[in-house]
Amino acid sequence: MNASNPEPVRGLSDASAELIETYFARVHSALLVSAAEECEEAVEDLREHIYEELSGTSGTPVDVARVLGELGTPEALAAECSAAATGGPRLAPAVRDGRSPLTGTLLGMPYELRLPTPERVAQRWWDPMEPKILVPRVFGLGWDVNFGAIAVRLGMIRPDDEDVPFGSVPEPWLALSALLPVLVAVAFAVLVALYQSALPPQVAVHWGITGAPDRFGSKESALLMPVAMTLLGLVILGMAWLRRRPPLSRVAAGALATMLCSISAATYGQQVVTAYAADEVGVLLPGMAFGLLVTFGLFVTLARIGRSVEMRRDLEGTSKKGSV
Amino acid sequence: MGNDTDSRLSQFRKGVVELAILALLHRGEAYGGEIVERLAGHPGLAISAGTVYPLLSRLKKSGLIDSLWRESPVGPPRKYYRLSAEGDVEFTAMAKAWDGVTDAMDGLLGKEVTR
Repeated sequence: MNASNPEPVRGLSDASAELIETYFARVHSALLVSAAEECEEAVEDLREHIYEELSGTSGTPVDVARVLGELGTPEALAAECSAAATGGPRLAPAVRDGRSPLTGTLLGMPYELRLPTPERVAQRWWDPMEPKILVPRVFGLGWDVNFGAIAVRLGMIRPDDEDVPFGSVPEPWLALSALLPVLVAVAFAVLVALYQSALPPQVAVHWGITGAPDRFGSKESALLMPVAMTLLGLVILGMAWLRRRPPLSRVAAGALATMLCSISAATYGQQVVTAYAADEVGVLLPGMAFGLLVTFGLFVTLARIGRSVEMRRDLEGTSKKGSV
Repeated sequence: MGNDTDSRLSQFRKGVVELAILALLHRGEAYGGEIVERLAGHPGLAISAGTVYPLLSRLKKSGLIDSLWRESPVGPPRKYYRLSAEGDVEFTAMAKAWDGVTDAMDGLLGKEVTR
């Protein structure tokens, strides 16, 4: 992300930088021992974040020590992370009351090192009872969008419209959430079938905001990433349905798959457009916006269907029995 | 330091808010927005929509309150909440326990016991 090399000291004193480096070297070696490489990336983000926040400030060794102290000892952090990753004996009480170093805020930014469960992912994306639109990221550093809060702000639903999110939605409607990403994936496959052989050997693989290409690659390698992302989305979706997860989790899996498939299809579409049409025609951003909008629409539609089912049950029930 | 104070305050408010909701529903049924609004009228409780709705959901799950969609005199139908029989018993017990706590705390904090 940052162009500057992480090795230099970035305006921090040598002593401060050394503290940070020593800390994360110990976390990494502890992670190696426990074979929990899943955590590496998130831990790496955490280290980057510490540097970014402290660079430019005086960042004395005392400040640094205090910040690192909040994370606990490197070995404890690694142990908890690997326990969470391997499903081993996690330090349940500490995790539950939120004092675990695996989740918290560091220099103003929330982080989460526990591996995501489908249920937790689903709850972050659709939590209409939580008024905050930006909620702590499901995994890693930063925030995720709570579509439920947006729907409530826009007056499309009320926070307590459904007792259990999508709990009363009839199965055929839930299946719509699975059909949507499949349709986008099919559209992507059709695009590939139509254009792949006709594409020039070198295609654009990265674009600036205006849609102008700024990096090129072979057309085969350029296809790899979108295809992998689409497959990942479909696998996640399939798992959620095969394992009969609760409705909210299945819908969230559908939402995630829709976004992954839309981004993939849009990336490929942008390759085609760049090869054939003007450089400045952007497909990527509209494609991503489409994915987000469709996902949002899906959540809201299902929530309103669930609400009307609940409503009908109560209103018809009472009219038969007379008023309450 | 300030953070610790905040988290301690929110710890004990959590329990209080539950009782506040039960007390409000003990006086009569109400819908979500109404509960939020009426509790917001007591700034000392520092209750927001973000606290009320999850609590309503939890109280419903534990069977202390029921909810029912009903036609509203104005606008679309609303989901009304009310105490269940079990919730009524629980409220009476909690209200009694609360009296004990406030009496004791008033004493400990050196305030006049007005009761």
